[in-house]
Amino acid sequence: TLRLICTTTAVQRKNGGPPGPEKYTEAFIKKQIEEFNLGKRHLANMMGEDPETFTQEDIDRAIAYLFPSGLFDEQARPLMKHPTEVFPEQRKIQWGEDGRPFHFLFYTGKQSYYSLMHETYEKLLNVQKHEEQLIAQDLPLQKEKRNLAGSRWLTKIELEEMLLEKVSDDDYSRFIQLLQKLVALPCADIEEKYIQKFSKELPVQLQKVVIEPLQYDERGVAFSTGEGKRKTASATAVVYDNGTGKITVNGIDILHYFPVLQDREQLLFPFQFLGRIGKHDMVCTVSGGGRSAQAGAIRLASAKALRSFVTEKEVEFMRQAGLLTVDPRVKERKKPGQEGPRRKFTWKKR
Amino acid sequence: MAAPSAAGLGRRLRAWLPRIMPVRWSRYNPSYLEPEVKTESYQKPLEELTEEEKKQTELKAVRPIKAAPPTLSSSVFSDPMISKFTNMMMKSGNKVLARSLMSQTLEAIKRKQLEKYHKAPENEKETIECNPYVIFHQALKNCQPIIGLSNITRGGKTYQVPVPLTDNRKRFLAMKWLITECRENKHRRTMMPEKLSQELLLAFNNEGPVIKKKHVLHKMAEANRAYAHFRWW
Repeated sequence: TLRLICTTTAVQRKNGGPPGPEKYTEAFIKKQIEEFNLGKRHLANMMGEDPETFTQEDIDRAIAYLFPSGLFDEQARPLMKHPTEVFPEQRKIQWGEDGRPFHFLFYTGKQSYYSLMHETYEKLLNVQKHEEQLIAQDLPLQKEKRNLAGSRWLTKIELEEMLLEKVSDDDYSRFIQLLQKLVALPCADIEEKYIQKFSKELPVQLQKVVIEPLQYDERGVAFSTGEGKRKTASATAVVYDNGTGKITVNGIDILHYFPVLQDREQLLFPFQFLGRIGKHDMVCTVSGGGRSAQAGAIRLASAKALRSFVTEKEVEFMRQAGLLTVDPRVKERKKPGQEGPRRKFTWKKR
Repeated sequence: MAAPSAAGLGRRLRAWLPRIMPVRWSRYNPSYLEPEVKTESYQKPLEELTEEEKKQTELKAVRPIKAAPPTLSSSVFSDPMISKFTNMMMKSGNKVLARSLMSQTLEAIKRKQLEKYHKAPENEKETIECNPYVIFHQALKNCQPIIGLSNITRGGKTYQVPVPLTDNRKRFLAMKWLITECRENKHRRTMMPEKLSQELLLAFNNEGPVIKKKHVLHKMAEANRAYAHFRWW
């Protein structure tokens, strides 16, 4: 006897496709947190320290002591951190038991992004309505402009972390354009709190750097040191006060060490910028790199040393002239399949 | 990528090493601004600045600034146009030779002008310009074309369409024409500074082969005026 075997396409496909990222349930994460806390107490007991005041740094030190690892990659070494740092934050399952999704925009694929855009547009319409009300009542519109220089918008990565889903470059730029449109309206102060969620403060650059005080040597002359790097050259410069403008490099006068005019111009650049050409003496040591790299390294070192002699405003001027930034340009590596970093091999037809 | 990276704003903004290498990229994070080297711009008090300049100063206080390149300096002798021209004249990275040729050119210009100055009668002495930098800048300005041609293909045929040029492009074309003129159309034994100074002086007086080339380009653009609507940008 023959049996007719009818199969549907759903049954025919045995493999379920590539598995996505592991989904962690809430219970799993809770268990991990309990295990972590227990493990922390055990570790503290082992190290002979107080389990109550055992911080993350102590944990890291203990693990590095108990399991020393010579592996090159830091992420391959033994790790013990709080589970929220180890398991990335994931979205909980978006649909209920009957299979119906919770969010009304679920089937767009990017539900959080579109809901965010809807919210922002709602705020925009709100602001416009408020503006029209003010015009109808003949009240003056507030013209104070938000200071845009002191803050920046969230980056794409930060936005992705906030929304817990991937955001494409196009979507990100659209979102930023919408925010800028919102901010440009005169009555945008109403939605200040909403806007602040997406902007971050930019600290004033100069506050990060600590300027060292002047040191005095045996004769009572003030001096200060600075270090600089450029490409592969590294230099240290000691700038003395009450000088005649003599500059010595590795024991040799600059006229003999740098025969090229451009390098000497670079050495004198910080002094000329501040107007202190004949007032300081300088003794530097430099090694590595080529002729132009050594000159650049000494320029950076002397600019850093001069910071201690000069007012804060002038330090800010030096920074804006580009004297205090380390030049990050280095030689680009050669790539396989090409003759140099950019040059390709000669194309031969056959 | 095993290459070292510069100190950036923070962990997220510092990773300015793009995963897929685009063709045009820079070691600096795009938020870095260009440095301002001239001392005069820092001595202006706050009240004299225009609105735009005030915004710029506020922005500069918060953003990081790129390092000044080795060709740029705050001394009176460093001129960005002259350094651009020297870089274009340079061959195989021999900046020392290019710089010396440039200074010899400027010296030759000065000598020729001084000769003319001493030979001229009293009333004409004021009209003769002796400053080689002024002559260089004026000559470059005279050589810059106003409008350029670009090849646009429509229906199989390539047309030369008149197109407006940006400032940078105009300066580049003027410098390129001067240098190619000096390298090619001369006697085998003439030195570069001699030929260059000759060309610059001719360009300063609106004569010479480079100015002629500029006029030819303008005439071509005028002749092809009918195709101007092919441009879509």
